[in-house]
Formats: sequence, C-alpha cells, structure tokens
Amino acid sequence: MPPADPVIIAEGISRRFAYRPVLVDVSLTLETGEALLLVGPNGAGKTTLLRVLAGLLYPSTGHVDRRVPLGMVAHDAMLYPALTARENLRFFARLHGVNGTRVETLLELVGLMHRADDRVGTFSRGMLQRIAIARALLHEPRLLLFDEPLSGLDPAATRTLVQLLTDLRQRGTAMIIVSHQLEQLRGVGTHIARLARGRLGPKDPLAGRDPVAVFTELMREDG
Amino acid sequence: MRALLRAAWHIAVKDVAIEWRTKTAFASGLVFAVLVLAVLFFSRDPTAVASSDIAPGALWVTFTFAAMLGLNRAFLLERELHGLDGILLTPAPRAAIFWGKFAANLVFVGAIEAISLPLFVVFYDVPIWVRFGELVLVIAMATVAFVAVGTLLSAMAVRTRYAELMLPLLLLPFLVPPLVGGVQLTARLLEGRPLSDLSGWLKLIAAFDLAFVSLSATLFHVVVDE
Amino acid sequence: MTQRDRAVRIARWGGVVTGLAILGLAGVYVRALVYTPVEATQGAAQKIFYVHVPAAWGALLAISVTGVLSIFYLWLKDRRIDLAAAASAEVGVAFGLVMLTTGPIWGKPIWGTWWTWDARLTSTLFLFLLFVGYLVLRDVLTDPGIRARFSSVIGILGLILVPFIHLTVYLFRTLHPAPIVLKPSAPSLPKVMLVTLLSSVAVFSLLYLGFLMQRYALGLLRELREEALASAQ
Repeated sequence: MPPADPVIIAEGISRRFAYRPVLVDVSLTLETGEALLLVGPNGAGKTTLLRVLAGLLYPSTGHVDRRVPLGMVAHDAMLYPALTARENLRFFARLHGVNGTRVETLLELVGLMHRADDRVGTFSRGMLQRIAIARALLHEPRLLLFDEPLSGLDPAATRTLVQLLTDLRQRGTAMIIVSHQLEQLRGVGTHIARLARGRLGPKDPLAGRDPVAVFTELMREDG
Repeated sequence: MRALLRAAWHIAVKDVAIEWRTKTAFASGLVFAVLVLAVLFFSRDPTAVASSDIAPGALWVTFTFAAMLGLNRAFLLERELHGLDGILLTPAPRAAIFWGKFAANLVFVGAIEAISLPLFVVFYDVPIWVRFGELVLVIAMATVAFVAVGTLLSAMAVRTRYAELMLPLLLLPFLVPPLVGGVQLTARLLEGRPLSDLSGWLKLIAAFDLAFVSLSATLFHVVVDE
Repeated sequence: MTQRDRAVRIARWGGVVTGLAILGLAGVYVRALVYTPVEATQGAAQKIFYVHVPAAWGALLAISVTGVLSIFYLWLKDRRIDLAAAASAEVGVAFGLVMLTTGPIWGKPIWGTWWTWDARLTSTLFLFLLFVGYLVLRDVLTDPGIRARFSSVIGILGLILVPFIHLTVYLFRTLHPAPIVLKPSAPSLPKVMLVTLLSSVAVFSLLYLGFLMQRYALGLLRELREEALASAQ
C-alpha cells in the first residue's frame, strides 16, 4: 500500500431538499491519482454530492475536508454569456490569482483559440462545455469534479477530453466523474462507485476491469 | 483585506463590462426613469399645485423605482449560466461578491441618476444649482442606502420564483428612511437653505448608511451559501 | 418523549394560556367600558385606545422577538428557533392588523378622517408590510434550510429598521398623539385609565404568548409530518 495522501475526505454527508433526503450518510475519501467513476440512476443525488464536495452546497449533516484546490465542471458552464471566452477565462483567472498566459494555454488546449473573442452566449453546448473545462483547469487543481463532462461533445472533442483526463490523472490529479458514458471513459477511471437513493456504495478498484462490465455487474446486484 | 478588495474590484469591473456590452438593463432603467419623471408631472392639479412643489417627491420616487429595476439585474446575470458558482469555486472571499456587486450597482444606479437629474431640471424647472454640491451629497448618501440593502435583498430575491415581485416587496420598507430623508432634504435645498439647517435628516441618513452597509455586508454570506 | 409529543404538549399549554388571556380580555373590556370614566375631550371613541395601544404593543413585541430569534438562529442554526421566529412574525402580523384597523376607527371621530398620512401610522404600516413580506418570502421558499436563513436576514434587518423608522417619524411633523405612557416624566394619563391600559397590555402579552406557543407547535408538527412523508417515499 502506498502512503495515504487523501485530497478530500467526506464524512457522514446528508442533505435534504425541501424535506426530501437526497444524500444519506455518504462518506468518501479520495487519494491523489485516483479517478472515481460515480454512477447511478437519475435523481440518485450525484449532482448534489458533487456540489457538496465542491462546497457549493452545505451538507445538512456531516463534514467535508478539502485538502487541495479543486476545480469543477458542472451541468451549467458557470460563465457569463455576454463576455467572450477569453474575457470569461481572464475574469476567473484573476480571482484565482493566475496570470493571463495560462488563459492562452488553456484556450489552445481546449481548441477554442479561433473563437476566443466571441461571446460565450453564441456558443454551442459542446463549446460551452470546453470553455467550462478550461475554467476548471485554470488554477491547476489537484482535484477535479466532473458532472457529465462528455455531454454535448462531438466524437473528436470527446477523444481530446478523455486524453486530457488520462494525462491529468497520470500526473496525479484526483477526479470524480459522474457519467453515463462509461465506454468512453475506459482508460480514465481507476475506481467505480454507485450512488442510489442517496446512498453511496463501496469505492471499488477497477484494477484493469472494464468499467462497463463492472457497472452491469453493479446493476445486477441491485436486482 | 487586499485580497478582498482586489476580488471585489474584479467582480465589479466584470459586472460593469457586462452591462456596458448589453445595455439592456441600463437603457430600460433610464427610459423608465424618464417615464416616471414625466408621468409624475401630470399627477397633480396644475391650477392648485405648482410642479416645483411635487418636484422633490418626483425625483426620489424616480430614483427609487429606477434603482429597484436595476438591482435584480446584478444577480440575474449570475443566474444565466451560473457564473456565481464559478466565483464561489475560486478562493475569492464571499464578502468580495457583496462589495463587488455593491460597487457595480452604485455605478449603475448612479449613472441613471446622473442622467435623470438634468432631465429633472428640464421637466420641473427647479434651481438645483443653488445648492448643487449639497444636493449631490444627499443623493449619494441615499443611493448608498438603497443599494446596500438592495444588493443583499436582490441576492435573496433571485433565488425565489418571483424575483421581480419579491424585491420591491422586501426592499421598499427599508427605503422609507432614506427616501423620506431625501425628499425632505431636497425640498429644503431647492429652497436654498443650507445643509446646516438640516443636520437631523443628514445624520439620520448617515447612520442608516453606516448601519445597513455593515449589516448587509455581514449578512451577505448567509444569502449566497446554499 | 418524542419531539412530536413535546410539540403536542406545547400546543396544549398554549391553548391554556390563550384561554386565560381571553378571560382576561373579557375582564379588561368590562373594566374599560363600565368602570373606566369616559375621557373628557375624546368621548367614547377613546375606549378603542384600550385595544389599539395593546395591539400595537403586541405587534412590536412580536416583531422584536422575531428579530432577536433570527439572530439566534443564524448563530445556533437550530430549526426550532426559526419556527419560533416565524410563529412570532405571524402573530405580530395579526396584531398589526388589529392595530391598523382600530387606528382609523379611532381616527375618524377624533381626527375627522379614517386615515391620515401621519408618519407614525405610515411607518407602522411599512413595518407591518415588511413582515407580511417576511411571511410571503417564507411561503415561496420550499427548502427549509434556505427559508430559515433568508427569513432570519429579514428578521434581523427589520429589527434594525424599527429605530430608524421611529427617527424618521420624529423628524417628520406628526399628528399622532405623543407617547403617553413611556415618557420620562410621570405618565400623564389619569390613574384609573392607566390601570385599565396597563392591564390590557398585560392581557395582550399573555394572548401573544398563547398564540405564539400554539403557532410554534403547529409549525413544528407540520415540519415533522413533511419530513416523515418525504422519508417514507
């Protein structure tokens, strides 16, 4: 066993929305270099869990210990439609205390340099998603939270993103990825866990297994 | 402290840039202000009441309504693609969001006021230059009061289904002291009386500014955390 | 004892307190109408004073309690405090309504007009409306956590607003009778009227307490039921 180096520790997280329990006693620890694929049916609480882990939502009970800077790509791009791609990234870069060259690097990385001076409001879903990814990477976070990162991306963009995620993970960035497109994420995930009715199943190492097969297995156990 | 100010500055600049680019809220706020000024002119019996008698009230009602129209804008633009979440994910202190929005709202409301004031002179034929410096001071003080409470309350209102309805409902009671004070002070200033005659109202608005700016800044984090 | 049992017990005691208050209220009315002399200049209309002033007191008390509880809620984050604050606001709005209806009824014969845009009346109206806004806000927010925090903010702001509104009143020329009881010098009301007024105030305070307890228990029971329903799904 390598020495434990957790990037985030969540203990006993519960969250209610308008009386309805969405998360029930969720505990989770993630180590450097781990990429957890979080699966589960719609309404299982996956988005809520990511938002609680990110600190955007308070847990009703429980505690989250964030030990490294984190970045997040959620369903909403978290950008301003009236500003251009570059202006958006520059704004968030300033709040992160990151300089402008990083913005240019990321525009290049997500392949949107040619649209950098167009307003984000004119972008397609896939392009918004790419800018959102650039935004999340601005401060070189050591933990990344992704909520359906592949949604809206065309096959080429999907391949680029999967490659990027694999590279990041190999360089030690931990990540939690909520996705239904497991076949595309084959090379990325190191662990898989299932969230159902607000309860998190065990964090299962993939150890070379195919996530799609493991997922099918998990579903079967549920009956 | 410097980090707070720097982040607040970036947020304010971003908000003003967005407004500058779209101009929708500003243009509608301005047109609205002109409309209110014009409509209020006719809200009297011209044979009995001189327009100069209702002028101070008209001015402040215009300012209040125009401010209210602009205040929701600040957080509505955060809602479109959830930009606020992006800010919350950065290390920027949450208070910076308040101060940034507060500053941007001051610019917004101040600009509308600056343009309506000359129109006010044209429409109502009032001698604002008699005590111009003092008048600007009074407007500035009352505007700070509107905007401080308004920034806090609009952050709450946009989280409800009826943002446009909730903000005036919650905000108007808080506008009573600065509004009444503003009207009283303006009426006296237009008569050419010096501010030293009016220190009571001035102190009231100053105390209100102090109390509600600090209170709004302190309570703001309660409103942005989910 | 479960939370539900405790709530039911509070509701019962609240009922007892309310019952006592209503008895007291009957007593105060008999005293006000039969045993307290008719005021020389205002005539019989002055009798409404024994409802108007205590209702105003009750409303202000309720709104202040809401404000103070709001501070405690943000500090301790206990939902029972939030429920108590909301209960107090609701009772305050009810008392405010009594105050705002009895005022004009008194005003018509004395001032010759139902409503005057007298500053104190106006500012009380605004305070009342603010707390109606507080209740509306609670109504449109479905998440209990957000509802509690947002309404606490309004409660606290309202508490701070009260002195400012009073100062505004003070600076604005006003028709309203100057404070009669809480004056630095000796109260200027004849002793027999004062006793009637003060006992009325005491009865209204008791009534407030009884309403508060019942409304609080009801709110708590409703929360518990919502939770049970949501968890059962």
